[in-house]
Amino acid sequence: MIAAGQLIALIDFSTWVRVLTLADYNTRLVVLATTLLGLSAGIVGSFTLLRKRALLGDALSHATLPGIGLAFLIAPIFALNGKSLPVLLAGAAISGSVGMLSILMIRNLTKLKEDAALGIVLSVFFGGGLALLGIAQQTPEGHAAGLESFIYGKTASIISQDAWWIFGAGAASLTVLVLLYKEMKLLCFDDGFAASQGYPAVGLDFVLMALVVLVTIVGLQAVGLVLMIALLVIPAAAARFWTAQLLRMTLVAGLIGGVSCMIGSLISAIVPRLPSGAMIVLTSAVFFLASMLFGVQRGVVIQWWRRRSTRRRIDRRHVLRGVYELAESVSPAGEAESGIWVTTTALMQKRSWSTGRMIAGIKRLQDEGCLRVRQQDVTLTAVGLIEARRLTREHRLWELYLIAHADVATERVDRDAERIEDCLEPVMIEELELLLEHSTIGSRVPTSPHEIEIAPSSTGGQT
Amino acid sequence: MNTRFGIVLLAAVMFCGCETQPKRLARATADPSRPIRVVATVGMVADIVRNVGGDRVIVTQLMGPGVDPHLYKGTRDDVRAILASDMVFYSGLMLEGKLTDMLKKVSDKRPVVAVTDSLDRTAVLSEADNVQYADPHVWMDVSLWSQSIAEVADALSRFDSSNEARYRAAAAAYEATLVRLHEYGKGVIASVPTKGRVLITSHDAFAYFGRAYGVDVYGVQGLSTDSEAGLSQINSLVDTIVDRGVAAVFVESSVPQKSIMAVVDGAASRGHRVIIGGELFSDAMGAAKTYEGTYVGMLDHNLTLVARGLGGTAPPGGMQGHLNQGIDH
Amino acid sequence: MDNELPLSIEDLTVAYHRKPVIWDIAFDVKPGSLVGVVGPNGAGKSTLMKACMGLIPVASGRVRVFGQPYHVNRHRVGYVPQRESVDWDFPVSALDVVTMGLYREIGWFRPVRKKHIQIARDAMEQVGLGDLENRQISQLSGGQQQRTFLARALVQDADLYFMDEPFAAVDAATEKAIVEILRGMKREGKTAIVIHHDLQTVHEYFDHVVLLNMRVVAHGATADVFTNENLQKTYGGRLTLLDQATEAMRRSQNR
Repeated sequence: MIAAGQLIALIDFSTWVRVLTLADYNTRLVVLATTLLGLSAGIVGSFTLLRKRALLGDALSHATLPGIGLAFLIAPIFALNGKSLPVLLAGAAISGSVGMLSILMIRNLTKLKEDAALGIVLSVFFGGGLALLGIAQQTPEGHAAGLESFIYGKTASIISQDAWWIFGAGAASLTVLVLLYKEMKLLCFDDGFAASQGYPAVGLDFVLMALVVLVTIVGLQAVGLVLMIALLVIPAAAARFWTAQLLRMTLVAGLIGGVSCMIGSLISAIVPRLPSGAMIVLTSAVFFLASMLFGVQRGVVIQWWRRRSTRRRIDRRHVLRGVYELAESVSPAGEAESGIWVTTTALMQKRSWSTGRMIAGIKRLQDEGCLRVRQQDVTLTAVGLIEARRLTREHRLWELYLIAHADVATERVDRDAERIEDCLEPVMIEELELLLEHSTIGSRVPTSPHEIEIAPSSTGGQT
Repeated sequence: MNTRFGIVLLAAVMFCGCETQPKRLARATADPSRPIRVVATVGMVADIVRNVGGDRVIVTQLMGPGVDPHLYKGTRDDVRAILASDMVFYSGLMLEGKLTDMLKKVSDKRPVVAVTDSLDRTAVLSEADNVQYADPHVWMDVSLWSQSIAEVADALSRFDSSNEARYRAAAAAYEATLVRLHEYGKGVIASVPTKGRVLITSHDAFAYFGRAYGVDVYGVQGLSTDSEAGLSQINSLVDTIVDRGVAAVFVESSVPQKSIMAVVDGAASRGHRVIIGGELFSDAMGAAKTYEGTYVGMLDHNLTLVARGLGGTAPPGGMQGHLNQGIDH
Repeated sequence: MDNELPLSIEDLTVAYHRKPVIWDIAFDVKPGSLVGVVGPNGAGKSTLMKACMGLIPVASGRVRVFGQPYHVNRHRVGYVPQRESVDWDFPVSALDVVTMGLYREIGWFRPVRKKHIQIARDAMEQVGLGDLENRQISQLSGGQQQRTFLARALVQDADLYFMDEPFAAVDAATEKAIVEILRGMKREGKTAIVIHHDLQTVHEYFDHVVLLNMRVVAHGATADVFTNENLQKTYGGRLTLLDQATEAMRRSQNR
């Protein structure tokens, strides 16, 4: 760690400038190529994630190994150079595709599910690949130990040819996905309905997998095995925390993929001895963590925040209504008024809640201007009275509604609504008020405060 | 009751079985009626054994030309050959990373010798990134490597003491050849202008070479071909090439060429055309039955190619005129 | 006349791994009927429906939809699958799901246009989901999800509807809405075949019924066929007749 720190301290300003302005050819190339790859992989990966085949990239990458071995072994038969990249890539692509078909077949013809099919294909193909490579490394002309390193490229040594391949693959996948967007959407959501509509579900599945094969093969030889798998899964998974719309999710995934690659490559250009591929994976992991915590749609922190807001809203309601009802009960006229003091002990007993929450609620209402506090007592201010009256009225009306219209209540009840008038028709409300007057439960319903135009001063705790 | 008795019986038999197998010690002496069966891991080691042992040895070499010993995983045929052998020689210093465990296991029944064991430890370099590990590529320094000859001669003499004299004589002759090679190397490299005396290869296999012959050495990847380069490494290599006007970079037979190509392209983008000076032998020798398939040929090839590539003068046929003129393999 | 019958099934058998799941299914459905399909769990009701639509392979027999095989008259059929058949966590809105019913009509590669969205909106109004267009489907209640599926089928403006347990675990408002839609369909002369589980309401909702327990126990007008005797035959004891028979058959095969 200390060494790393010293290392970073040694990087001088000129290096920063040089890298960030993309002054070096290699930096430019690696950043460009990996960003394009991250973009494509993020978008394609979204669909595989939603199709519940997130580890397809993993299975596919491992399934390419026997193809590499076979291509090397049989290439001399066709008078081809066993170590030339196109030959090896062709072998990888073919065995990868066979792997994809095997997964589809296992899933469709047996009772096994996705994860089992993926696991089987991954391990069987990879094992077979290792065996073939063992044979390959014994052949007379040698040159074959570490054959897989010819295919599993190293990110920092991307050359311009790689970039062109990546660009081509990315453009092709994007075109296909734009053309087949709604079909893929339907396939991933409800393949049964898709089939009933006459869509060839297996065919569409195959197209999606073919896109994965394309992006993976091209990416494997540029950036290697682990990075490719990471790019197909992490950006898509991270994007899910930000949005609940498919189009946005794919775009966010592409963005996260591209930006992770850009930042990761730049970091590896600035700090010596950091492999580029690994840095990209780490960067994308950081993005994932950030998304998981802070993602607007589902982030852990965001959800905690929302729950906290909801709890505070509920506490506010309980305190105000509690004070109101206590004031009602001690008032000679049976009508709560500002200036009637109630004790916190009595308030505490009104419902089972912790002292802490009640006191915090009281404090917030005091800040809001709805309550006045005097040692152990509280009372409603004029403003607070209006608000408390409204809350109590609505509470009682809802109670009545639930009894009178139990059968359809679940549809209409929204306890959180600003006003009951937003949910129920005026006619219904009048009817309920009438009912309440004649009923024996609860006490009088205070009149609607909306006749008075003064609104509560601060609605900080509200929606 | 019966099951318990059965288990006890089984355990007894197993224990007895262990007892009755006698512990065989390694055969301390050779059988004079037939040649010694030797297994050597890499070609450089096999070459020493062949030269010192002459026709008293039959050498089986596990890793052929172009095989990367850092990544080589032993096969069943290898195990069979080792078990049938009388002696095993390997390089040591963790070169044969994945095989070393297996070799240690068989050392109780036959002599297993690491030829680098007797090397002066202060002369052994450590890995650039990781000072705990030694850099195993000692054969790149001819004078250092020739110290291993004594180790082989000693081992053969211990095993086959009746032929000790001829082993010593053969060892001395081989050492003399290597001294000539070393001097030749120093000469041709010295002819390269100092500024451009930079050797850039795919991986860090040439540290000893650099130290012995006065060349600044850089590898794109680290010490093992398994490691991965960083972008900053690539950029700094391009800087070096441009700043020092390096004329050529070199690829290796057992390592993919891609990383070198990236460096070449990078230099080209800054207007400096650097060519690929040829393919060097780093972790393995050339094809069998060729001159480059011997240790002397291997180093002769490397030294000559580097000297010529970087702008020095050296005879195209190498030290003895035996070098293959066409470099591409 | 076969041409006019929305659904005609002859001697249908569907097997899964050599074990027959449903067999000797034969009945016709007249246009404008509301047909309830009832039977115990595992009786093969969903299987029957899926076999009619070619979603699972048929071992023997014939299914004709408006006189032709299903795939010819596919465009005249609407399908409401079981709610559990999808993951409701999928990032789409209710409107998106309803629009999916129009994809076939839009055609391959073409995008969804405003006019299609309007059709989808109208269908959502029809089922009472007008305010919930942009709600993400995981935030819908069970009844609302069911109605989304229903709207998706409605946009297809089909003549025959297959519905798989649309009333399962929905609230009263949704149930009312679905029944209203069914009655509207009947008025327009459309046909609906509905898998149903609540025996109490069969009389009220369906004018025809099919009692299914791996084979058709009885089918016809509800008034005639929905009798205690037939119900006894359909729901019977814990292990149904056919289950026992297939068990015996499998045992003898494995010997």
